[in-house]
Amino acid sequence: MSAQMIRRARPLLGTVVEIRLHGVAPRAADRALDAAFDEIASVQECMSFHAAASDVARLNAAPAGVWLDVDPRTAEVLALMRAVASRSAGAFDVCVAPRAVDAGLLPAPSARAPDAAADWRDIELGAGARVRLARPLWLDLGGIAKGYGVDRAIAALLAHGVPRACVNAGGDLRAYGAAETVYLRAADGSVAGALELADAAVATSSSGATPTHWRGTRGHAVAPGRSASVVAPQCALADALTKVALALTPTAAQDVLAAFGAQAALHDAAHGWQALARAA
Amino acid sequence: MRIRWMLGVGLAGAFAQVAQATQYLTLEQAQHAAFPTADEFRDAGAVDAAVAAKLGAPAGWAPRVFEARAGAKLLGWFIADQALGKSEMIGYALALDPHGAVTWLEILDYRESHGGEIRLAPWRKQFLGKTAADPVQLNRDIKNISGATLSCRHITEGVQRLLAYWAAALAARPE
Repeated sequence: MSAQMIRRARPLLGTVVEIRLHGVAPRAADRALDAAFDEIASVQECMSFHAAASDVARLNAAPAGVWLDVDPRTAEVLALMRAVASRSAGAFDVCVAPRAVDAGLLPAPSARAPDAAADWRDIELGAGARVRLARPLWLDLGGIAKGYGVDRAIAALLAHGVPRACVNAGGDLRAYGAAETVYLRAADGSVAGALELADAAVATSSSGATPTHWRGTRGHAVAPGRSASVVAPQCALADALTKVALALTPTAAQDVLAAFGAQAALHDAAHGWQALARAA
Repeated sequence: MRIRWMLGVGLAGAFAQVAQATQYLTLEQAQHAAFPTADEFRDAGAVDAAVAAKLGAPAGWAPRVFEARAGAKLLGWFIADQALGKSEMIGYALALDPHGAVTWLEILDYRESHGGEIRLAPWRKQFLGKTAADPVQLNRDIKNISGATLSCRHITEGVQRLLAYWAAALAARPE
């Protein structure tokens, strides 16, 4: 371990975000850490489901057919969301929010009810970070924004010349500059595997005893006790693709993962591990 | 992007604890990070039990409160407290300016009371990627864990309680 290792943690994105730096002098490290944490805080402000002033909250209260200006970072996440939703035929869909509200996982975000037929295709992106809803809907970026926050933090650290770093937002993790060992926690909380990665991101999602994940807005609930760990070049992508790996059959999930240059390991108590990885 | 999966399938074998105990900042380091220009951190003593009771604080609630000072000038307050996570205690601290606004908030330390177990051997190694021929080196110093997101809800609740305590017990205190 480098003598110049510095790690700090702040409560952000609904979890504890840890940033670890190597090979940077203390004062430069402080500046890089502040920039990285500030970037994550901005992502939280833009994409929080709960904060009334966030882009997400404004969209969740917006009528159909009206263009809203959003932060460019929100627009970037929505574009990535559309790519994953499209490639997975809606298995990943941020418009599952009403199901999470019904399940008691999220509070109702607005008095304006969502259209029961609405899905990700109703979130339209215009030029210059503008968004329009084709139908009134409720979206939740909780399944992608955490990973995106990690990506933004990594970009800030790179911009500050940090040679090696690892950002871990409650298990959504990205590292560069050296290989990192990452332990993988299964749905029951046990640590059942590990992986070594370098210049890559990993995210893990698991399904609880009561439904926490669904195949899109109208598909089945993911069976309890399953977890999916996805490795991808970007953490936002890894984060979103965990939902695809949980919801689709392994064969179908593998096609989607391969399209994004990602790999996954699935775990449940009955079957143990199953790798979804195709040699590049 | 380089990846190597290490997915244990055999259930018998050696066990290693991955219980975590991480210190990010000592109390003193945190104080100076929060108030770089302070020359004194004056211990404000134990919290007012009557106020704590009125705020519905749990039994044993004992945040450490300091006045951050530069000479005769009060810069603000530094308060360190603990929050219970899923199965771990999280030490955190916040800094308040003289008007009670939060200017700094960080995690000080993190202790998992019972860690998960990882079966290190026998591995049925499923190596993928360019480094597949390299020997496996599990890093024993740094425990990165992916999965089972740690909620910071209790920290948020703790911060709310400390802000309420500040308003009730510290705001009116003469300099």
